[in-house]
Amino acid sequence: MNYILSKDEMQHLFSRISRRYEVYGAVERDGEVVFERVNDFGIVSQKKSRYAPKEFLIERGENVLATVPQERKAVFGIKSCDLKGFYIMDKQILGKDPFYTARRENTLFVNYVCNEPCNGGFCTTFGGPVLSDFQIQVLKDQEGYHVMVSKEFDHYFRDFRRDESRAFEEITEKFMREMKPLPVEGIESRMKWDSKLWKEFSSKCISCGACNYSCPTCYCFDIYDEGEERRREWDSCILSGFTRTSAGNVRPDLSDRLRQRFYHKFSYYKKAKGEYLCTGCNRCVDDCPVNIDIKEVITHDYLNE
Amino acid sequence: MTTSMNEYIPRFLDVKRKVQETGDTYTIVLDEVSKAEPGQFFMLSVPGAGEAPISVASGTGRELEFTIRSVGKVTSAIRERDRIGVRGPYGNAWPYDKYENVLAIAGGIGIPPVRSLIERMIDKGRGEQLEVLYGARTPEDIVYSSLIDSWSSNIRMRLTVDRGNTTWKGNVGFVTSLIGKSESPRNSAVFIIGPPLMMKNAVAEALKSGFREDRIFLSLERRMECGIGVCGHCNIGHYYVCESGPIFPYSSVKQEPELFL
Amino acid sequence: MSVVTVCPYCGTGCQIVIEGSKGQRVSGYSLSPVNHGKLCVKGYSGLTYNFSDDRLRYPLIRSNGEFRRVSWEEALDYASKRLLEIIRKHGADAVAFQSSAKCTNEENYLMQKMARLVGTNNIDHCARSCHSPTVAGLVSTLGAGAATGSIESLGDSKTFFIIGSNTTEQHPIIGAKIIEERDRGKNLIVADPRRTKLADIASIYIQFRPGTDVALLNSMMFVIVNEGLQDSKFIEERTKGFPALSREVEKYDPVLMEAVTGAPSDLVIKAARIIAEERPAAILYAMGITQHIHGTENVQSISNLALLTGNIGKRGSGIFPLRGQNNVQGSSDMGALSEWYPGYVRVEENDVERIEKLWGRKLPRKRGLALSEMFEAAADGKLKAIYLMGENPLVTEASVADVERGLDNLELFIVQDIFMTLTAGKAHVVFPASTSLEKEGTFTNTERRIQKVNKVFDPPGEAKPDWWILKEMGMRICGMRNYSSPEEIFNEIRTVVKNYSGATYQNIYPIGKQWPINENAPEGTEILHATAFPIGRAEFKVIQYRSPAESVDEYFDLIMTTGRNYYHWHSGTMSRRTDILERESPEPYIEINIKDAQRLGIRNGQRITVKSRHGSMSIKASLTDSIPEGVVFAPFHFEEARVNKLVGNELDPVAKIPEFKVVPVRLIP
Repeated sequence: MNYILSKDEMQHLFSRISRRYEVYGAVERDGEVVFERVNDFGIVSQKKSRYAPKEFLIERGENVLATVPQERKAVFGIKSCDLKGFYIMDKQILGKDPFYTARRENTLFVNYVCNEPCNGGFCTTFGGPVLSDFQIQVLKDQEGYHVMVSKEFDHYFRDFRRDESRAFEEITEKFMREMKPLPVEGIESRMKWDSKLWKEFSSKCISCGACNYSCPTCYCFDIYDEGEERRREWDSCILSGFTRTSAGNVRPDLSDRLRQRFYHKFSYYKKAKGEYLCTGCNRCVDDCPVNIDIKEVITHDYLNE
Repeated sequence: MTTSMNEYIPRFLDVKRKVQETGDTYTIVLDEVSKAEPGQFFMLSVPGAGEAPISVASGTGRELEFTIRSVGKVTSAIRERDRIGVRGPYGNAWPYDKYENVLAIAGGIGIPPVRSLIERMIDKGRGEQLEVLYGARTPEDIVYSSLIDSWSSNIRMRLTVDRGNTTWKGNVGFVTSLIGKSESPRNSAVFIIGPPLMMKNAVAEALKSGFREDRIFLSLERRMECGIGVCGHCNIGHYYVCESGPIFPYSSVKQEPELFL
Repeated sequence: MSVVTVCPYCGTGCQIVIEGSKGQRVSGYSLSPVNHGKLCVKGYSGLTYNFSDDRLRYPLIRSNGEFRRVSWEEALDYASKRLLEIIRKHGADAVAFQSSAKCTNEENYLMQKMARLVGTNNIDHCARSCHSPTVAGLVSTLGAGAATGSIESLGDSKTFFIIGSNTTEQHPIIGAKIIEERDRGKNLIVADPRRTKLADIASIYIQFRPGTDVALLNSMMFVIVNEGLQDSKFIEERTKGFPALSREVEKYDPVLMEAVTGAPSDLVIKAARIIAEERPAAILYAMGITQHIHGTENVQSISNLALLTGNIGKRGSGIFPLRGQNNVQGSSDMGALSEWYPGYVRVEENDVERIEKLWGRKLPRKRGLALSEMFEAAADGKLKAIYLMGENPLVTEASVADVERGLDNLELFIVQDIFMTLTAGKAHVVFPASTSLEKEGTFTNTERRIQKVNKVFDPPGEAKPDWWILKEMGMRICGMRNYSSPEEIFNEIRTVVKNYSGATYQNIYPIGKQWPINENAPEGTEILHATAFPIGRAEFKVIQYRSPAESVDEYFDLIMTTGRNYYHWHSGTMSRRTDILERESPEPYIEINIKDAQRLGIRNGQRITVKSRHGSMSIKASLTDSIPEGVVFAPFHFEEARVNKLVGNELDPVAKIPEFKVVPVRLIP
């Protein structure tokens, strides 16, 4: 159902939600946009946050032997590219990891659709910026806040006006004009195992792991015991220890591991779950110290190397 | 919140018996009846050391047994404990009940899940339908030597070592060299487990000897940390070995460049 | 929570943001001019050591061979009483203080002040083993011993000359900047015995013999002078000593030098021309230049090259000594060195009077013991007590056998640290300290940028910030003031160190400022020596090539060069307690050229014995082709294979640094 709300009405909605959920929002702090507890709708920023709020679902580090938390949280201001990532991750880990599952079921994400394509983003390649899977999706313009609501949360909008406008369609049209989707269709067949691209990337890559840590669809983690806790931490598949066993390492070279990352995103996940493991948020490019660009994996001419 | 809500929390089982098999390999017998099918694995843990994925070594319905080689922190720590954390069973099983005859080929430390298969098929009265080829590096590396005699009266079994010693009177040669001499019907299911190079050669030999490509099954090994398909470490192609495997039909994985690494 | 602070690992000084309800998330601070939001794997995954169960929580005193927990009062009173006793009985020079390049400026300042108020210049720290030649060398040639530009300014360079630095592994974010610039078509010349990641993408890679840096640099200068490519205008207006230099380098024809350095002459010629003609050119160097007994001379040769080609003072040019520790620049600036007072005032100079007035006391004027000399003095019984903070010399110092003997012979050994390191295990008194994430202060990175360090977590147990412990000890042994905060200490530093005078806790946050920062340069100084050198004219130094302290012979037939790897940090006390970093590099290894290994019958992964003239160790072999024949490489991160035990004890006469980079060894399979 689509609604249109004024700023005051958004504040009302915010208060309603706050009664049931612990509310977080994207706020500007020291020049960056980060997620914090908020009690006022007005301070939530429209800007893209510094990082994907993956931690609402997979904590950076936690004890897997602890009690699975059941707090209800609401997050205002998450971007569509980040939220889409969670829907894609769901296909592999929802229902299996108890912490992710509990948090996913108890968190309400209110995503803010961007008004402008961001620098470097390519969300249109993956169906953005308006999501077809969402809980409460918001688009602000001069008329007010256009809101798309899923059935589950419709009851929050009982007394608000229905929206007959084409705001969401228009923003999609604008994005398709200004951010031409990349030719991702069929990439899983076009990619080449022996491509020079992997060695090119590995000659620059400094193995920092930023791409994995910043990605809204990377969910891999490392488990180890520390005292009485069994801790798990975000891991990076481009580190050599990721696949090392006492028998050896199936991906001994950095180029093998970079190739694995891109194959997992554009070939394996598509084959296994039917979707590419990427949302076009560009955070991996923004955070890469040597500007390795994932878009090149899609646009590279594998045939005529 | 009960333990069952958190898949990561292990149950703890007492170690009833410990057997030293070879220099660095030992077997532990745990206080639980195995509900696992041959080929499946468990995550065994020692608090403070960590977890390790270990295939079940005993047949379904028997005492839960594991044969472990001490190669790292966890596998060495397990040996010293009287109580072990256990999660599982995870993964899938050898599809022994879908085929009339089974040829199982085990190299080195791959023998435990084949032992599980042997016990299961014997318990189900199907010992005559199973042939096992087992190759160890040297006579000192042979595991379960006390059991092999009793198995040989129930199933067809051939044993070989890569290198003999002064007293060894049996076969000497890679286990793959025994495949051609197998008397199993060529439409048997072929189960292969061992080091990657051995598996690669075994597949080639099996095909050469006339076994059917669509009846070859491999047990793959990868680094595993969660066992439940979420940590990402055991990814090969579009599979996670812990979820879709460890047993894979050869046809499903033969195109994977990382298969025999 | 969300706190902006500085990464505790290397001298790049990336700013990090620590966030989340439990402070678990670490990301780079996007507005930092140092790292622009990027981090290396140590920044992202390397901070969990902070929560290790191994953290020291309580003060300890050793009695009857066992450590027992005591109160702060007992520990401080006991340590100070014993120190005062020793000073009374044997004189101030019978005690020594070892400061920490990982601790803040405020803490280093307090420690050196304590030493000097007690009456000795026996204050030193690990900068001695790292960039002490840089300080000595560049102060003598330019008047200031620090990087002349900023990391940002490298964006304006046309050419990079990287010698003796494995930048992508030791200063990864700076290495990443070089990779980015190379992608934009800049020239990259790399000179290193090992084929590093940057060597693989360089326009020119010169693989040369360890210890022959002066010959290599002089042969480059030969080409430049011979072909008239020097910047004559710059030389005439801003330097002195050129004629003597040009006469010296005449002897270093690269064709003749090839036999000495192993560097192909055509590459040397090409490289020299590019550095002279494709300007501005920046020269980056690290331990490969400094950790030699001619370290000071190596640095002076680099300075010669930069001056010769006019590559100083312009944005994009300059000399960039890549400082190792997160605050080794700061600890040196604070004078935690036995020959320098804060602000690089030599102990023997009259300028010390100014400091005497500020501190209200007469101060010692004789050069004190360098770190490398302290252990020998302890072994000989001349040094009776050491108060050590944040260092692990049993693993990091050369000829470690001497360190052990020295420490065992002390009457009093006080250690202040966050973990029970191998060194702390020998202490009589242990003070539990906070990590840099648990206190406030400042660090100065390798580009002279003073940055604010902010507290994120509370220290565990009764551990306290180092500045508090030092202040408490100082109050007891030398009447030190009862400083109430790090800011108070910093405000005093500003009066003593002229280069820091304009910095305040407010104006160096959220992004830091490069010293000199004073009334003439209220926003700090990006480029040094733009118009003048502190000594007026820069000086060329005539440097002759001399061979390293030890040379190979029939038995010790390979050269071992020690170093670090990307995942671990120095003695590994922090990085080895972090699961992901330890997983990446879990055990000690020695890199051997594949052909050498074949010749010796060594397989990959085989455990072998490595022997030098000073010690031996058992270690696994790692075969590679990125190291030339005749050279082997072992990182010093691992307690179980203390590589530095094999390094000799000969020192650079000026900087007193051992020769970590040239150790003749024998490999025994």
